[in-house]
Amino acid sequence: MGTINVSRKYTLAQKIYLYYIIKGMLINLKRFFRGLFLQENWTIQYPEQRREYSQRFRGAHFISVDKNKTENCTACFLCETVCPAECIHIIAEERPEDENTYGVWKEKKPASFDIDLLRCCFCGFCEEACPKDAIKLSRDYEMSVATRDEAIFDLNHLKREVKGRG
Amino acid sequence: MSNSSFEITMPKVDLNYTSAKTPVHSDPNPEAKPLPKVTIDGKAYEFKPGDTIMQVAERYNLHEDIPRYCYHPGMPIAGTCRMCTVEVEKAPKLMTSCSTPAGDGMVVHTRSEKVLKSRNGVMDFLLANHPLDCPVCDKAGECELQDYTFEYGPQESNFKEEKRVFKEATTKKLSDKVTLNMNRCVHCERCVRFTDDVTKTNDLVMLNRGWHKELAATDEKVGLTNDYQGCLTDFCPVGALTFNDFRFEKRVWFLDKKPSLCDGCSKGCNIEVHHDKEIVQRYMPIYNEKVNGHWMCDEGRLSYHTYADADRIVSPLVHDQASGRLASTNWETASQVVNAKVKSATKTLVVLGTDATTEEGMLVKGAFANRAEVKYHSGFGDNKALDHLLRQSDKTPNTNGLKAIGLSPLAPTDINGNDLVIVIRQGRARLPKVEGQDVILVGVYSREEIETLKTSNVRVHAVLPSLATIEKDGSFTNCDGHTQSFTAAVTHRGKSLAMPRILAALVGEKR
Ligand code: SF4
Ligand code: SF4
Ligand code: SF4
Ligand code: SF4
Ligand code: FES
Repeated sequence: MGTINVSRKYTLAQKIYLYYIIKGMLINLKRFFRGLFLQENWTIQYPEQRREYSQRFRGAHFISVDKNKTENCTACFLCETVCPAECIHIIAEERPEDENTYGVWKEKKPASFDIDLLRCCFCGFCEEACPKDAIKLSRDYEMSVATRDEAIFDLNHLKREVKGRG
Repeated sequence: MSNSSFEITMPKVDLNYTSAKTPVHSDPNPEAKPLPKVTIDGKAYEFKPGDTIMQVAERYNLHEDIPRYCYHPGMPIAGTCRMCTVEVEKAPKLMTSCSTPAGDGMVVHTRSEKVLKSRNGVMDFLLANHPLDCPVCDKAGECELQDYTFEYGPQESNFKEEKRVFKEATTKKLSDKVTLNMNRCVHCERCVRFTDDVTKTNDLVMLNRGWHKELAATDEKVGLTNDYQGCLTDFCPVGALTFNDFRFEKRVWFLDKKPSLCDGCSKGCNIEVHHDKEIVQRYMPIYNEKVNGHWMCDEGRLSYHTYADADRIVSPLVHDQASGRLASTNWETASQVVNAKVKSATKTLVVLGTDATTEEGMLVKGAFANRAEVKYHSGFGDNKALDHLLRQSDKTPNTNGLKAIGLSPLAPTDINGNDLVIVIRQGRARLPKVEGQDVILVGVYSREEIETLKTSNVRVHAVLPSLATIEKDGSFTNCDGHTQSFTAAVTHRGKSLAMPRILAALVGEKR
């Protein structure tokens, strides 16, 4: 890897430098007075106010459940296979007979299902790969945590109720 | 580390489910009759009289052109699935290549329009009742039904009817090793023929006919009894039979595959070690005509657990005087302790387990040449075959190899009169009975074994962990005298060392 020197042609106004400084200052001043006298807001008061995001926004994951609160996931590992960030970790096991409400369709279940949100790049590939529509990305964008451990979603947390999508 | 007096043959890496791919050549002798020729897809191939079209194709590596379900090179031909049909010129109908003998001058097309249409139809029928639960199915990724559907299958099914479901047999344990999911079965009957003709235990049957045709154990109460049940799950073309030990453990596309040898008995079956990130998930047999054919026994198949055991000792241990326990330490300390012990001992005996490779045997012999006596020990007595297939009573892989380098077996009285016994043993040979002497253990041990030794008052001075068969290179000579060499299939992730470095620590030489 070498260094590439890029040279640009500057116009006279750019070379004098003061012209663009003043121009920028004027924009600031204009916004300042409009905010002051006309009450025009350019930011929102988060968290009291919230921005409306697109319906297709990809946020924190969840796993959909059926009416018995059994996860729809059959531990097929397809999401783990497709995940480019390698942040999904599944351990599979046999589903007990009595939970097997759909016969053959659910003979396998995840014993544990962890998603490391710190590694996740929110590409949504897992959602697309899932043959059971089990893993989904909600529109929840508030994912700040105090420790790294909390950023690893386990099966219990993934099965939480998510409003508005699922 | 090779010795020119040994014939070393690499285990043959070959696809599972296919037989020897060795082309036949005409006898160079001018008086011999020329071999007959068959034309397959426009090219002429010589064949041995008696070969079927399928076998000719296999010999010349054309096996991928002919799909098959019921045909398996290790079993008698059934000709029931109709997947292998090919077009033979001048024959009025399509022929099943697995059961049609090749004839001189025959012209065969494996991919004509008629053939592809027939295969498409066969696939459509097979899929009519197939659950298509590939996401849950352990076979997905190495499933012949999947592969052939991609290649030949119909894009859409012509069947709109409800699929047949075997309620009882959806997940039915045929034994503690094998689970049956009858919904996925394609009725190729490889499994039935295997128990009839290969193991000769007759413990599987097909009940009923047509729509209700169902696989079951001959005696439902006993279930499967043969010792080669893992093979059923290898060659079952779909996920109908799955091996419990591997069931749901891993999807097959994550697995890396390396050839190695099974060290579960003196047969030395050729295997493929399937591992993901150096964690062994299963063994599978590789075809070797001279040793194991297509098969391997369940005991060997499960024997990787000795090496993948969480309780395996993978860090050197030395006896701590103060606490009276074996404590984990580093190799420098351990080397000093064992070296001092070996130097101070007046008479030393080295007991070499017959699970050591021949190369290790020679190293041990050389290292202790003037210091101690070296004897080999298996603990299983004389070898005899346990059945007509593979299993042997000597559960160690290399008794013959160590015999061949001039070592002699351990006699019961040999141990008396020594004050130090060094036991080298890699997880397969039995431990010799030691009483009253100091013992240094080298090799593969589990925590349980060491604890048993301690309760029986054996004074274990140190434990030096070494590499297991699948983690090292070497060669074994099996019960029939075949010498086979192998290379490491997985990388050891503990602190165990290879034998040369352990020997250097023991005798205090730099290597
Ligand atoms: S969104 Fe993408 S990166 Fe995140 S878990 Fe799914 S597949 Fe992996
Ligand atoms: S979430 Fe979906 S893709 Fe992932 S293992 Fe479960 S069923 Fe398969
Ligand atoms: S047997 Fe093959 S096709 Fe059938 S579910 Fe299993 S992987 Fe899919
Ligand atoms: S269980 Fe497997 S091997 Fe046996 S008949 Fe069915 S598909 Fe064939
Ligand atoms: S493979 Fe020839 S009929 Fe089945």
